[in-house]
Amino acid sequence: MPTHIFRLLCLMAGALVVAMIGKSILTADSFYRFGHYRANSVPEIAAQEPVFQTARYCLSCHTERVAVWSANSHKSVTCEVCHGAAQGHPKNGKLPVPKDAVKLCTLCHEAMPGRPSAQPQIEVAKHNPYASTRQQCTACHNPHSPKIATALVKLTGNAAAGKERATSCASCHGAEGISPNDTWPNLAGQNAAYIARILGAYRSGDQKDVAMTPLAQALSEADIQDLAAYYGGLSCKAAPSASPVGDAAAGKALAANCAGCHGETGISGNPAWPNLAAQKPGYLVNVLKAFKAGLRKDPMMAGVSRGLSDADMANLAAYYVGQSCQPKK
Amino acid sequence: MKEEDRNPSQAARREFLSKLGRAATCVGAVAGAAGLGVVSNASGKSEPASEGASFPTKDYDWTQHQWAFGVDATKCIGCLRCVEACKKENSVPQNAHQFRTWVERYVYLEGEDAAHIDSQQDPVNIEASGSQKEFRFANRYKNAKVEKAFFVPKLCNHCTHPACVQVCPVGATYKTKDGVVLIDHEYCIGCRYCVQACPYGARYFNEEAGVSDKCTWCYHRITKGLQPACVEVCPVGARIFGDRKDPQSPINLFIRNNRVQVLRPESGNAPNVFYVGIDKEVN
Amino acid sequence: MEPVIHSVPYVGWVYPNETIFEWSVLIAVYPYLTGLVAGAFTVSSLYQVFGFQRLKPVAHLALLTSLCFMIFVPTPLLLHLGHPERAFNATLTPHWTSAMAAFGYFASFYVVLLLLETWFAYRPFIVEQAQKRTDLLGKLYGLLTLGSYDVSPRAIAYDQKWILWLAITGIPAAHGLHGYVGFMYGSLKSREWWSSDLMPVIFLFSAIISGVSLLVVLYAASCKLRKIPIDVECVKGLAYTIWGFIMVAILLESLAFANLVYKGREGIEMIMQYVTGPLLIPYFLLQFAIGLLLPFLWLSYMIWRGTTGRAMIIGVTISSILVLFSVFMMRWNVVIGGQEISKTGKGLLFYQLFVGGKEGALVAIALSVAPLIALLGLSRILPPWIHGTVSSRVSAMGGH
Repeated sequence: MPTHIFRLLCLMAGALVVAMIGKSILTADSFYRFGHYRANSVPEIAAQEPVFQTARYCLSCHTERVAVWSANSHKSVTCEVCHGAAQGHPKNGKLPVPKDAVKLCTLCHEAMPGRPSAQPQIEVAKHNPYASTRQQCTACHNPHSPKIATALVKLTGNAAAGKERATSCASCHGAEGISPNDTWPNLAGQNAAYIARILGAYRSGDQKDVAMTPLAQALSEADIQDLAAYYGGLSCKAAPSASPVGDAAAGKALAANCAGCHGETGISGNPAWPNLAAQKPGYLVNVLKAFKAGLRKDPMMAGVSRGLSDADMANLAAYYVGQSCQPKK
Repeated sequence: MKEEDRNPSQAARREFLSKLGRAATCVGAVAGAAGLGVVSNASGKSEPASEGASFPTKDYDWTQHQWAFGVDATKCIGCLRCVEACKKENSVPQNAHQFRTWVERYVYLEGEDAAHIDSQQDPVNIEASGSQKEFRFANRYKNAKVEKAFFVPKLCNHCTHPACVQVCPVGATYKTKDGVVLIDHEYCIGCRYCVQACPYGARYFNEEAGVSDKCTWCYHRITKGLQPACVEVCPVGARIFGDRKDPQSPINLFIRNNRVQVLRPESGNAPNVFYVGIDKEVN
Repeated sequence: MEPVIHSVPYVGWVYPNETIFEWSVLIAVYPYLTGLVAGAFTVSSLYQVFGFQRLKPVAHLALLTSLCFMIFVPTPLLLHLGHPERAFNATLTPHWTSAMAAFGYFASFYVVLLLLETWFAYRPFIVEQAQKRTDLLGKLYGLLTLGSYDVSPRAIAYDQKWILWLAITGIPAAHGLHGYVGFMYGSLKSREWWSSDLMPVIFLFSAIISGVSLLVVLYAASCKLRKIPIDVECVKGLAYTIWGFIMVAILLESLAFANLVYKGREGIEMIMQYVTGPLLIPYFLLQFAIGLLLPFLWLSYMIWRGTTGRAMIIGVTISSILVLFSVFMMRWNVVIGGQEISKTGKGLLFYQLFVGGKEGALVAIALSVAPLIALLGLSRILPPWIHGTVSSRVSAMGGH
């Protein structure tokens, strides 16, 4: 074999040797272990830290909130959907409470073709008449228990029968449904559906009141319906008056948040929610305090009253007592 | 030269021996290197030292699970919380053109046979959300006469015969023993052949990292007993995940109790995401 | 800072991840370069293996051209990769189910083959230059001799055998090198425009005509530069080669398209919309009509009429330029065109070619021109003209 061929072959053999040595050195150790890939990449990927922590993580501190949330219709919406991922919380501070509820809630609840009918949906402009002023969904809906307990009660009562039954109520609530003092509420002209609902609640024990509970338990289903019909049909007569306690102007400003359910001037748009106009201020304040303390149970009102101070309550009461209870025709 | 002239047979012998020596060295070196290569490969395969040890983590043994995913398109409301959660969980680039998971909307208008299809990259939807980092479907059909409409979440199907794994030139993407197709970001060279090969458009190329990427069924979560982020945040239960080895897992119940189908069965990829409630135009 | 993502405009329905174009113009340039390599090598082999004496004047030019283009073949790929420094992973742990993994090995093997064949072909010239020159270049030649100045008839006979076997081996190697590119596209299930059994063969035949055409142009240009009369018989030989292969290329491409339309699989409406719309000019007019049919008809006419001399040379050269253009359009229409048709079969995207940038038009042009510059340089060291090479030696000794 000529020299140059031999030298060429040696050169090529040498290069091959270098290549093979290089290949075995440079190939990752864990390669080929389970297949044609670097086996160590699997634990590397598995070691990554989760960002979303799940509701169980929130439960370890926020027990009460989680309890409310998991008992209501938003239990399928995990906390981190609205509040953001909990990685690093509480070390990195509080998680945001969403400010623009209209933007957030409509992501799921805006009526849109394609959404299954099982999904509660609203046409924003129609549902929230104050949407233009950006009244937030949270004004009426507690995001942790969003359903508003306003299952409309069917009205089947007889006003005349109710009038007879009402004689025993007159000692506190007045012969004409206008209460003689500040503590007990006016009933004249109140929404019948509301009266039926609240009496039913006292009767069943959903609501508890020292005075009302034994009285309501003595009533039959038919009695409740009749009483509701009777009082609902009475003229509310109560003329607006000024209250000695509280600043009505300040109360008016606060009442904007209540208007969604109770109406701008305290005339409720939904018969399941009580009218507040010309209602006794002392009663209103007591009721708000009871909601705040949890003595009177309503998740909606509990959320709303939580943010109210004693002075706020007095101001609200002052405002409402000065409103006309006659619905604007 | 002169010495060799004097003793030609000795010179010839010397020449022959030196040639033999050189040849032997060459052959020996080649054989040695080959042996080295073979031995190092073989030792990688058997791994007797860690036999019995749980892989990939000490709390999670991948031979005990076989993951699968279900999508109930009759439930999806198109809220896109899954899209945002996935982006957050997996550091997916914050734009409207690279997704590990996305939701498609199909709308049939009255009198038309072909669906109007849109998704998160549509400029109208980007405008509705206000930015490329947040996602929302624009309510563009609210005043139209809609005959039929629905949403379909999509993600990597983690096929049993993945086309992407087949075409990777280096072995940077692979199917694990528990049925998840993963990508080794330290090994990928960024050729994007896998992105071309996937018939479902599930993969994308991450320019910043220089590697291809896709849904991993949140492997880092499922190996810790958690659900993938998208399943976790779905408010209506449109996404189902579970272990096919567990007869009572959500996914087995889903498959058992429904008529399920997969996307592009004719591709031969054998996907492992099972759909309920999709329609003739979904592919 | 997030890198600015460039998403492309689209119509209809496309998957969200498709709005970023993955394979750019560089991925069209790459098969163009490997095609030229394969085609040029075919010419060299036609002389070395099949004994086409007519092609003797361009045989060594073909070899050098093949080598120069081969050196630049990896560059568009390296520029495209997300991690070019990991490119060797494909040679360390080649995943043999992937056509792309074959590239590293085919390419390395083929580069070595080309280097060897060139070395053997030029050995006598190298030895001669090493002995004659005393400057730096002389030292380079000296290195290339591997210390052996043996140009005896026995050594030359060995060299000739090596050249023959390298050329024989090189034919399947070159065609494997380029054919796998076609297989890469043809074997994919995800895109109807690419998925075809004929794809590797189409790529191969268009590669051959592009390589031969390149040689026509280079030969004509170099003769003009050297002020030497062009060998008419050589050009005729090249013209016949182009003519023969172009027929097959036209046939195959028409077949592939006809097959696609006839089968009418899902997504065919979008393909037809695309082909009769955005692709009408690049595909039917530029690639087919002007780039393939016109040269074919012109060559046929010249063969029929027995055209020779200056008219023939001009005709063949212009036809070659058209073929070169057509084959690039073919790569463009396959690579870019395939991605412009959405995987959904219900939408179209629009590729945006930038002038600058890592994968822009300027880089594409530079990578296509660089091998020619390298060829210019290499031909100074290893002149392509037969004088002083093995073949002339062998001829002088009465060989074939």
